Amino acid sequence: MDNELFMNTEFPPPPEMATHFEHQQSSSSAMMLNWALMDPNPHQDSSFLWEKSTEQQQQQSIFDSALSSLVSSPTPSNSNFSGGGGDGFLIRELIGKLGNIGNNNNNSGEIYGTPMSRSASCYATPMSSPPPPTNSNSQMMMNRTTPLTEFSADPGFAERAARFSCFGSRSFNGRTNTNLPINNGNNMVNNSGKLTRVSSTPALKALVSPEVTPGGEFSRKRKSVPKGKSKENPISTASPSPSFSKTAEKNGGKGGSKSSEEKGGKRRREEEDDEEEEGEGEGNKSNNTKPPEPPKDYIHVRARRGQATDSHSLAERVRREKIGERMKLLQDLVPGCNKVTGKALMLDEIINYVQSLQRQVEFLSMKLSSVNDTRLDFNVDALVSKDVMIPSSNNRLHEEGLQSKSSSHHHQQQLNIYNNNSQLLPNISSNNMMLQSPMNSLETSTLARSFTHLPTLTQFTDSISQV
Amino acid sequence: MASADKLINTDVPEKDVFAFHFLQSLSNLRKQNPFDTPDQKNYRVRKIKKAAYVSMARAAGGSSRLWSRALLRRADKDDNKIVRFSRRKWKISSKRRRSNQRAPVVEEAAERLRNLVPGGGGMETSKLMEETAHYIKCLSMQVKVMQCLVDGLSPK
Repeated sequence: MDNELFMNTEFPPPPEMATHFEHQQSSSSAMMLNWALMDPNPHQDSSFLWEKSTEQQQQQSIFDSALSSLVSSPTPSNSNFSGGGGDGFLIRELIGKLGNIGNNNNNSGEIYGTPMSRSASCYATPMSSPPPPTNSNSQMMMNRTTPLTEFSADPGFAERAARFSCFGSRSFNGRTNTNLPINNGNNMVNNSGKLTRVSSTPALKALVSPEVTPGGEFSRKRKSVPKGKSKENPISTASPSPSFSKTAEKNGGKGGSKSSEEKGGKRRREEEDDEEEEGEGEGNKSNNTKPPEPPKDYIHVRARRGQATDSHSLAERVRREKIGERMKLLQDLVPGCNKVTGKALMLDEIINYVQSLQRQVEFLSMKLSSVNDTRLDFNVDALVSKDVMIPSSNNRLHEEGLQSKSSSHHHQQQLNIYNNNSQLLPNISSNNMMLQSPMNSLETSTLARSFTHLPTLTQFTDSISQV
Repeated sequence: MASADKLINTDVPEKDVFAFHFLQSLSNLRKQNPFDTPDQKNYRVRKIKKAAYVSMARAAGGSSRLWSRALLRRADKDDNKIVRFSRRKWKISSKRRRSNQRAPVVEEAAERLRNLVPGGGGMETSKLMEETAHYIKCLSMQVKVMQCLVDGLSPK
């Protein structure tokens, strides 16, 4: 029958059909498919009477055959689509095809050929089963198929068509048994139950989306109950949905520890809120190839294979890894730590280094105090007055400690570039932390050069002041 | 390690910033104590040292680092200024009790570090190590600058 639907090439799309059809859309959805399949002569004014014309019986029968072909077709291909959900999808597909046919109105002959081949692939089996309609019927169908462009353009058309399919099934339940052969009637009866479920539009959409989404995450599978319904046995009701979600987990996850680990992960998040302050990104350490979850306020951790999924142990592991990470950072800072392995020894080394640095500061401060005071005083004054410095953005001028408030004013006034000394200090290599004599000599030489010219000036001013 | 650094964010202050602060504090010291008497030498030494640390803490970004904040607070306390009373000591004890369960080898080392690094008493081990890293960087920078000064200003 589908062959005959598309075979007739002699009917150009009447432009009036579009207008008629738009009016049609406001009416019940049941009319639309009816109209699609049993269009009488479009030029007749009785076109509006399609809906409830005397031809209704004929139309119904035609529709019966069409619908039965649609309905019975998925039965061989149940492996692809499940039950009632598949029906709705197929209907949508068919409508889309019809719309495609209508789109290419110019080359009507060729187009009708192609969808036929497509439809033939889908609906191969029921071709024989429905009663072959007469040529007039096919012609009517042809006329009706063309204005389906508007139908396909209508976004809600698919849903309405799906709803109509259940309409049709319900309305035809009484009739199909009489008009159609027994097997089709049985199919109708069987499928009517499934078709009724197709009426829910989320189920329709749900069919499309599961194919689009990949493995998905647990949260999605848990929440989407209608998805599960459509995917699984259509007869299954809401009660098995939690079980479905668990099975989905098992299907999606790779290890049995996943579900428990999810809970562990949740508990772990609460712990992490207390412990950690910075959200350093993901702590996603897993041997699985799952995509990492987006980092939120807390760190997500996955249990490794063969390890305990206890929340405490997870937290411990993360903490240990953090400490290890920072130890590596410290290892780079402290010289001579590369050879030492092991946390304890390295920590000892670090502690020794910090102590030595502090002792050095103390020693140097003692040395500074014993430096010639007058000289230092002049130099410092000269430096401070002459040279300027751009303070760093982080610095805040605290008015605490030894610095008086007046110095802050000086500082703000002297917003020059600390040129001389800044040139000196970056020369100091930042790599070597230890005070080795050659480096010191380099430093001191560069610094001394800058300092040498200053005392001359200060001495000059001093001499002037004395005089 | 660059990535770890980015994560942990140890920004070392510029040397010239620190030097500037230090020199300013030193000049103030000079103004305050124009004459260097042997009696006050220890006092001077301590003052210089304190000046060095304070300027270092300031150069390292004020209160953006825990140890710098603790240092400044300690400095204020010594100068008998009004210091905001912090309840951190109490937090320390509770945290210590919880943290003692883990890796005792690491913990005892962390204990020693806490005594060394200012403000280390109220930190977890991981945070402590971060502070230690930054503290080490700043300390080394300070040592270098002071060494330069000493060598530059010492009589040739």
